[in-house]
Amino acid sequence: MAEKTVRLKIKRQLNAESSPFWEEFEIPHGPSMNVISCLVAIQEHPVTRSGKKTTAVAWECSCLEEVCGACTMIINGMVRQACSALVDNIDQPIVLEPMTKFPVVRDLVVDRQRMFDNLKKVQAWVPVDGSFDMGPGPKLEESERAVHYELSKCMTCGCCLEVCPQFEKGNDFMGAQIISQVRLFNFHPTGAALKEDRLHSVMGKGGVAECGNAQNCVEACPKEIPLTTSIAEVGRQVTLQVMKDWFRK
Amino acid sequence: MSDKRIIVVGGGLAGLMTTIRICEEGLAVDLVSFVPVKRSHSVCAQGGINAALDMQGKGDSPWEHFDDTVYGGDFLANQGPAKRMCEKAPEIVHMLDRMGLMFNRTPEGQLDVRAFGGAKQKRTAFAGATTGQQMIYALDEQVRRFEAAGQVKKWIGYDFQELIVDDTKTVRGVVVMNMNTMKLETVPASAVVVATGGPGYIYGKSTNSFINTGSVATACYLQGAKYANGEFIQIHPTAIPGSDKDRLMSESARGEGGRMWTYKDGKPWYFLEEIFPAYGNLVPRDIATRTIYDICINQGLGLDGENKVYLDLSFKDPDELDRKLGGIMEIYEKFVGDDPRKVPMKVFPSVHYSMGGMWVDAETDMTNINGLYAAGEVNYQYHGANRLGANSLLSCIYDGFVTGPNAVKFANEVKPASDFDVLAEKSLGQSEKLFEQIYAMDGDENARKLHQEMAKWMTERMTVVRHNDKLEELEKKLVELRERWNHIGIADHSKVLNQEAIYVKDLQRMMDLARVLTVSALHRNESRGAHYKPEFPDRDDENYLKTTIATVSEDGPKITYEEVDTSLIKPRARNYAVDKHATEGEDK
Amino acid sequence: METVKDNSFFYRRLHSLLGIIPLGLFILEHFFTNSFAIHGATVFNDKIDFFASLPYLIVIELLFIFIPLLVHGIYGLYIVYTGQANQLQYGYFRNWMYLIQRVTGVILLFYIGWHVWTTRLSALFYGKEVSFDMMHKMLASPVVFWWMVVGVVCVSFHFANGLWSFSIVWGITIGPKAQKRMGYITMGLFVILAVVGVKALLAF
Repeated sequence: MAEKTVRLKIKRQLNAESSPFWEEFEIPHGPSMNVISCLVAIQEHPVTRSGKKTTAVAWECSCLEEVCGACTMIINGMVRQACSALVDNIDQPIVLEPMTKFPVVRDLVVDRQRMFDNLKKVQAWVPVDGSFDMGPGPKLEESERAVHYELSKCMTCGCCLEVCPQFEKGNDFMGAQIISQVRLFNFHPTGAALKEDRLHSVMGKGGVAECGNAQNCVEACPKEIPLTTSIAEVGRQVTLQVMKDWFRK
Repeated sequence: MSDKRIIVVGGGLAGLMTTIRICEEGLAVDLVSFVPVKRSHSVCAQGGINAALDMQGKGDSPWEHFDDTVYGGDFLANQGPAKRMCEKAPEIVHMLDRMGLMFNRTPEGQLDVRAFGGAKQKRTAFAGATTGQQMIYALDEQVRRFEAAGQVKKWIGYDFQELIVDDTKTVRGVVVMNMNTMKLETVPASAVVVATGGPGYIYGKSTNSFINTGSVATACYLQGAKYANGEFIQIHPTAIPGSDKDRLMSESARGEGGRMWTYKDGKPWYFLEEIFPAYGNLVPRDIATRTIYDICINQGLGLDGENKVYLDLSFKDPDELDRKLGGIMEIYEKFVGDDPRKVPMKVFPSVHYSMGGMWVDAETDMTNINGLYAAGEVNYQYHGANRLGANSLLSCIYDGFVTGPNAVKFANEVKPASDFDVLAEKSLGQSEKLFEQIYAMDGDENARKLHQEMAKWMTERMTVVRHNDKLEELEKKLVELRERWNHIGIADHSKVLNQEAIYVKDLQRMMDLARVLTVSALHRNESRGAHYKPEFPDRDDENYLKTTIATVSEDGPKITYEEVDTSLIKPRARNYAVDKHATEGEDK
Repeated sequence: METVKDNSFFYRRLHSLLGIIPLGLFILEHFFTNSFAIHGATVFNDKIDFFASLPYLIVIELLFIFIPLLVHGIYGLYIVYTGQANQLQYGYFRNWMYLIQRVTGVILLFYIGWHVWTTRLSALFYGKEVSFDMMHKMLASPVVFWWMVVGVVCVSFHFANGLWSFSIVWGITIGPKAQKRMGYITMGLFVILAVVGVKALLAF
């Protein structure tokens, strides 16, 4: 019997401007392989399936246990993390593509800076006075804490944005990631000091109103963050804020 | 705001905390990070952060925490800094809590704490089993505040190359590479803080990320910074082996009641509970690891004849497991395919943490290069010969509190470099030369294969059990590999995000650092904490109650020793079969 | 203090609101009134005469029907333009609903344009009488009949599913269970409206 192998088809791009092309690879199969170990195998032996010498495929990764969000890419048509994509659980040839909603840097590496910039726009932080000793933080009820811990697990991977029909390279939509963070920080007793500012930010261009309720985000989120609940919750907060702005100012 | 700027290399917990402290002191920061800071390796920390908050009224105190830390570290930790860290710990946890970190709560809404290895008191505050991730997010958010205010400039996707040091041995800036364009740049600074974490990738598969090459620490070492206690590499007892890396199953699993066992004579054998009645499953990592190693390798009692034992939580309430250990439950389920709420997890030890690191001054965290500081795992402080679980997150944050203000003080006092441009050009030239050499490589060695060879040798000889003859062979091997590095051939000559070229550069540094670790281990003829030599099975305080210092020289690392600060707790025998106070008065 | 500098939020919310008030309410009224056709020409014509006799009719129609229709339709078209369908890649149920909402919206733009012209504007401009008889003649053509069935089904769906989105946008249904429940309710509404609407067509 021939040795068991893994076949991959990878969409490559040499730099931001050049046009993409496809390369196929075939590597030896091993136990508990994931897409990362396939890419490592290609680094080790950068030769295509047809025997042509090429370069290793560039991709981003860090933690390899699905808590950092770095290795997000499109695997067999679905956006997900490469580390948790186990070879034995997915169809071959394994088709790898870079995320489509962010500019490609090279091969599977994209620039997701927009997500971090948006965090700045909505002031996604708790405005503490400083790091010096000021005693304990606010008390929180465990059940409330548990709900918001889930929101806090967002690793800025961009899956929710990749699948969102309203989020595109050229537009301003912030997407579920940001809206959910707004909910998180508006909940926090100290974070709430900036609640009005945050709500006004998501009432601007690219804000929560541009959500089309396709709800793909919640399906795609690898951390199972209740993103659509966050969107509705922020929708409610915004509705109340509108009333406040109209009738109390 | 002063116009002085400080460079912080590394955007993990230590780097971010240092950045916050520098900003609070009014200086601006250039934060250089290989990856977006939220993706730093700190996210992998799971179990929690230690602080003697005494949330359960059992008389816990910072002193107890300090005593556990020193005892757990087999008395090799400098006691002054360790004590100050433990004293600061409750404040640190409160600060993180104020920053919005979603720590688990008690029914009253107070911080919940759990048990961890090497301590009888429950003092580990936690956020599910993703505490490191939650901590880095909390700090990242604060840094983003300063960034929005213009006080922090992030250099994301920039790779540190080397320090710019003048002839008074004062650091003046760094050389970095924009990885997207492969262009080298120089950045001036009044002080530089290195916070780049551990070197686990030297071992190939470890619980560390691929980014934990130790490359920055090595670069500093090669430029004259001392490297201390390199031989002390922590092997975590409970990881799940993978094809790319080993994934950590947090010690908090045992802190929440998880039991370790294997079959002996056909019956479950709870070996840690039997061998160490006083601490049971919560013995420190070096002890648990050696026991598992002995059971699997020497006694052949691993599961299914493989090097694995059970870590069992299946008897616990699944809802509680999800609430307190959700993160690792998910990891095990996703990567192994079994549900740890129903069946025991299969685990084995894996390289995890470096107690050793860049030598720093006990008071200021400054290295022996003026104006160069080291914070977090990359320095050697606090943990001695073995780190207690949930002390690393603490030491990262605490280091920020030490390094930040001291770097600011230095920056404010140091005279500006008169000849920065000349120095910068020289350093830039050196870095450029290295990359020219790499781009021109056309030999027949395969960089990945060299790394695998090094990893195999290191894992076999420089982990749980060490023998001098094998270490000597290892050192020879490393010298050979380092020579073969010159004969690597590279396939990728692109000037856009050339990961191969960067990897080849890092590989060279990993090889240099591997040799430092090995030579340090070779010279220490005793057994202490994570460093175990069967030929010298006992701790030898007379000769080796000392910090190992490695200094670069033409013929490899030169080893010297420095006294350890034991001014507060007199060293005593370390025995986890009995209570830690039972050995008081026993000289060791 | 962060202030809102852009009007897109206002337009979006206006679009959402107009879809329910007044347009949704008008649809309910319209379907109900049409259902009088079940009782024959006389009863139906009486109702038409009643509406035709309302004071300020033109103003009411302009303010509560035509202008909202135009705004909702044109801005809706813009919303369709801002999206990018990906149902083949991500075939989740809600994603299909998202697409159908937009497709029905575009169909309705044509349908309502045609419908308003044939049954209202031509009456206004050319003095054609809108009556049971006129509808009967129109619907005698199978093409017109099926075209109107399509219109009725589309408008029923677009309104019912729009109500579902509305309740999220304005923060009425927050959690996944509430949203699912609302999904069942609005799909029930869709079926009822479609049946009522088609029955009225059959009655002519």
